[in-house]
Amino acid sequence: MKTTTSHLSLVLVSLSFAWAAERESFDFFETKIRPVLIEHCYECHSVESGKAKGGLRVDDREALREGGDLGPAVAPGKPEESLLLSAIRHEDPDLEMPPRKPRLPDAISADLETWIASGAPDPREPAADQTVPSSGRAAGWQDHWSYRPPVPVAPPKVDDEAWAGTAVDRFVYARLQSAGLTPSPEAEPTTLLRRLSFALTGLPPAPGAAADFTPDKLEAVVDEMLASEGFGVRWGRHWLDVARYAESNGKEANISYPHAWRYRDYVIEAFAADLPYDRFLREQIAGDLMEASDESERARLLIATGFLALGPKGLSETNPVQFAADVADEQIDAFSRGMLASSIACARCHDHKSDPFTMTDYYALAGVFKSTETRFGTWIDSESNQGSKLIPLPSLPGQLIPNPSLTKKELAEVKAKLAALDAEEAERKKAAEIAMAEGRDRQEDFNEMLRNALRIYWSRGPLVGKLDTVDEEGRALPLCMGALEAEAMVHSPRYERGEINHPAETVPRGVPSVFSLESEGEVPADTSGRLELARWITDPQHPLTARVMVNRIWSHLFGEGLVTTVDNFGPTGAAPSHPELLDYLAIRFQENGWSVKQLVRELVLTRTYCQASTWREDSFAKDPDNRLLWRHPKDRLDAEVIRDAMLAVSGELDLSPRPGSLVAGLTSQSIGILPLNKDVPHDLDGSLHRSVYLPVLRDHMPDILRHFDFAEPSLVVGRRDTTNVPSQALYLMNSDFVRARAEGFARRLANESSDPETRIRRAFELCFSRPPDAVEAELARNYLETPENPDTTATEMLTRLCHALLASADFRIVD
Amino acid sequence: MKNETSFDSRRQFLRSSSLGLQWLAFSALAAKTSSAATGLAPRTGHFPAKAKHVIFLTMRGGPSHVDLLDYKPALVKNSGKEAVIGRDSSGAKLLRPAHPFARFGNSGLQLSSLLPRIGEHADDLCVINSMHTDVPNHSPAFLQMHTGSFQFVRPSLGAWTVYGLGSGNENLPGFITLNPPAGDGGAQNYGSAFLPSICQGTRLGGSQLPALYAAFLKKQEAPGPPMKNISNPHLSTGEQRRQLDLIRSLNEGRLRREPGQPEVEGMIESFELGFRMQSEVPGVLDLGAESVETLELYGIGKGADSFARQCLLSRRLIEAGVRFVEIASPEHWDHHALLSTNLQKSCESVDQPVGALLADLKQRGLLEETLVIWGGEFGRTPYAPGLDGRDHNHKGFSLWMAGGGVKGGINYGATDEIGYEAVEDPMHIHDWHATILHLLGLDHRKLTYNYGGRDFRLTETSGKVATGILA
Repeated sequence: MKTTTSHLSLVLVSLSFAWAAERESFDFFETKIRPVLIEHCYECHSVESGKAKGGLRVDDREALREGGDLGPAVAPGKPEESLLLSAIRHEDPDLEMPPRKPRLPDAISADLETWIASGAPDPREPAADQTVPSSGRAAGWQDHWSYRPPVPVAPPKVDDEAWAGTAVDRFVYARLQSAGLTPSPEAEPTTLLRRLSFALTGLPPAPGAAADFTPDKLEAVVDEMLASEGFGVRWGRHWLDVARYAESNGKEANISYPHAWRYRDYVIEAFAADLPYDRFLREQIAGDLMEASDESERARLLIATGFLALGPKGLSETNPVQFAADVADEQIDAFSRGMLASSIACARCHDHKSDPFTMTDYYALAGVFKSTETRFGTWIDSESNQGSKLIPLPSLPGQLIPNPSLTKKELAEVKAKLAALDAEEAERKKAAEIAMAEGRDRQEDFNEMLRNALRIYWSRGPLVGKLDTVDEEGRALPLCMGALEAEAMVHSPRYERGEINHPAETVPRGVPSVFSLESEGEVPADTSGRLELARWITDPQHPLTARVMVNRIWSHLFGEGLVTTVDNFGPTGAAPSHPELLDYLAIRFQENGWSVKQLVRELVLTRTYCQASTWREDSFAKDPDNRLLWRHPKDRLDAEVIRDAMLAVSGELDLSPRPGSLVAGLTSQSIGILPLNKDVPHDLDGSLHRSVYLPVLRDHMPDILRHFDFAEPSLVVGRRDTTNVPSQALYLMNSDFVRARAEGFARRLANESSDPETRIRRAFELCFSRPPDAVEAELARNYLETPENPDTTATEMLTRLCHALLASADFRIVD
Repeated sequence: MKNETSFDSRRQFLRSSSLGLQWLAFSALAAKTSSAATGLAPRTGHFPAKAKHVIFLTMRGGPSHVDLLDYKPALVKNSGKEAVIGRDSSGAKLLRPAHPFARFGNSGLQLSSLLPRIGEHADDLCVINSMHTDVPNHSPAFLQMHTGSFQFVRPSLGAWTVYGLGSGNENLPGFITLNPPAGDGGAQNYGSAFLPSICQGTRLGGSQLPALYAAFLKKQEAPGPPMKNISNPHLSTGEQRRQLDLIRSLNEGRLRREPGQPEVEGMIESFELGFRMQSEVPGVLDLGAESVETLELYGIGKGADSFARQCLLSRRLIEAGVRFVEIASPEHWDHHALLSTNLQKSCESVDQPVGALLADLKQRGLLEETLVIWGGEFGRTPYAPGLDGRDHNHKGFSLWMAGGGVKGGINYGATDEIGYEAVEDPMHIHDWHATILHLLGLDHRKLTYNYGGRDFRLTETSGKVATGILA
């Protein structure tokens, strides 16, 4: 095994060397030459401008070398023969470029000469080499770093082997060193334990854990956290941000998704079980088409496709063609941003100059999703013009079915109402036919007819919707949201400007043919193509998938991604701070079977991760954003972690999963009128389970999530905002929730001890995993002993002290 | 008394721990104020100015300048002819304004006939016809409009304003944003980035009811207070102050243990502000104190009125001293298709409330000191790639400003003859930001913040004040 590794690294080193040399020469082109060509020449000499004056284009290598009517513009290695140079230097009065403008600075012509003399290295592939000549795939898109396959690079050699022991550390250390920075010392054990506990489980360390923790137990503690249920909850929630998970539609018809929670639980279980990430993605795109070993697996795979059904939809849309196009669009957007950090959906209306994905790619994918039946399970009523069934799940022992059953009587009533509506409709139809046959003028009754038709249509929706959720006896059925193959397989036309009333040519449905992978191209006639799409996304050669996930994981552990725009790896996104490290991790992630847990484990066991977060003036001056990782960042806890930590500290946290969801039991489907429902808590909380089980309703978030920057559930969110505003302070000071936790916390302290000193020490240990320092102990003592109003009870004062600790900065900042 | 003393000494400590609070020393402006301990203390700018407040009405989506604010006879004349210039214009045809323009006021300013109520104030409007920005995509352009940058996280215009001038009321946030969009850059659009977080925009607003229920219940927002958690049922003000002092002492302890934590300083300030807001906010948010005439003027109580309520609320907030108020348009002005009907709909939803806001401000003598801005992140192409719609256009577009020291009844700058590209007195977003800051008495070159060893400013390395629009 050892030998293999060393052979491998030798190969990697030589590969990386050759690659680095090539890249360096391209670097000169990228930084000095390409911008000049774009700024001064493209206007008249490029595909983009549609102009090739004098027969010359300068936007790809071959075109430039071949030149225009006058001959080669660039002769590699021969500046004196290169017309480009003489034109720019104004050597020939008949050929002065750019025309009618002052001569370009000498520095530019000098750069051009240097570049040509060195052989004019130019990464820009000629248009003819591109995979889809018919479409407007942007020239030079392959040059963008994220569209090239990750390149194996051996970790650099560093002089401080003791610090930079792991591969990750060596990459980080080398960059720090070359910037004249040094890493920070290791964090205090207690600090490290808290950091790990919040990062891996979303909870503070168990009481007493800090006292037992020593750095030599690090690996064991990490393994224990990785194996805990908390890991699934914490990391599942990260994915739910990306999957724009929500339990209501949002937008103009905000209707509940009472079965969405099954997808939430699926995600949590997937991360807890360390389901290989590639399989996890395939299940969400095409679980219904994958083989299942048993009924329970079948149910799991169906639920996984909920990913495709959860998006916000224009339910008030009356045109079914438009609706189908919009649903497909949202699905394309969600999977491409979420899994590939790319905006394929931007190609709905036109090609983009710098993006590889074209309208052809987009409409090939639109065909895939239009050949898919999305089952989102809302019914038609006055708010919503679009309804859909749900997917019935196999019946399993012990299966949770929180949606309401109907009693025999209720079932009979629903059926009777439906029959009455059917009868009324038939009668009205018949009356209309008779009237028509008799040649009576119906105009005067028209409004009346329309009103009745609409009433019947809207009244029928909820009845049919209810019946779909129960069996013949009225017993609630196990159901999920998700995707199935449609009855008919279709190709989508390309729509000019994305407008459905302007269809152009038909595009065969298929997988985008961009990266020349085997998994690309048209799909079999009898399938939607989702399985093929799923294979393409998780193709080991796909340049984006592994990099994108590795970067997401990195950003959750280190505060920022190596690529800060975690949902955008395209040309408008940020460049990676450590490109070699990103590639190293992406390759390693795949080699380790796409195991999220192994990657998390590897990252948290680095020196880089274990650094102190202490501010250092000199380093801050050089790298204020800590892009080079000279310290661990200080992070404010995420909204759900703040809540869970408060419940944990007060001793009230119920670690069992909340069965189903508050939304599952609602009888009305309109979320907008939820505030009028007196049975629903005003802050949409009222439970002691972990926050991941709180209802996630678009535009109606539980208070604590809303105030502390929870992910906007209508968008793919890989990175949350962090705001610091007075409404947060008001929530912490005045909300019922925090007050109730303070009361619980005080009860816990009072039950454990009657001694004020012990209570104070214990309070600090529970909140911050450390005892109070002398100043803090004195402050607390003084506070308890001198109430503003002498009648205030000792219990009340203890509650207020607890409240203050929960509201303190220390409580929600992790070092 | 004892508390006050220790409070003062902590304040002293905070002021002397220069890091992070370096901004208090900014340009010696803060030194002029006596109560610099709160970042909201009002400060005078670099020079005297007329504008003391800003109401920024953001029309998200890119309102069509050639249909609304930039009348082009050549476009009318050549409508239907093939476009010869412009991005993605091949095959597209020039398209005349979907609705006629009309002349308004003594100035005879030309505006779309879809904006009659705003048109009543034509003589106060300064229409800038030569705006341009860097990219024709919503999110980056919207961000650049707010922060000057779309590549980097930078403080927003409102945050820079509060940083420069503080607030006219220390009991309210200096920058309030009503119903900001979650997308298009989200919280960055009202963020403070590296500026002290007290400069950040505070969101206000209740949740919306669906249209059907809104019509039935005759209200658009769900029941409940417009701002929750604004009072404490368990503690008296004195008791809460004491509890807050404890929290503050704990937080200051954290700062003492370790310097370089501006976010903790931000938390301390936001608790202080939250505490003070409790006495002020309920009154300001209560529209019940307004007369029937005022409510009618804005169109409140009839149909969809949440934007109208926000317009009225913005006046109340300005009156109470808030420095910068932003309201996002209820409409998304991204009219790629069905331009003629949708543009009309969009105009109808804002015309009356915005016209009312101008009238109301003027009547109360507030317009002189309040800069009202109406505009989107870019404009639209004079040509139609489809039949009845326009594409994004960042090379030339229009917006208008009123009050706050701008000349009224004028057009400033111009696009080419069809309205595609700004050619006369072009005003880049940086120039526009520079001009707004100038109106507020701030020199955009001097309004800087040192972060990581470099002085940053809203206008990056450019920005030119458009002196031609100064009254």
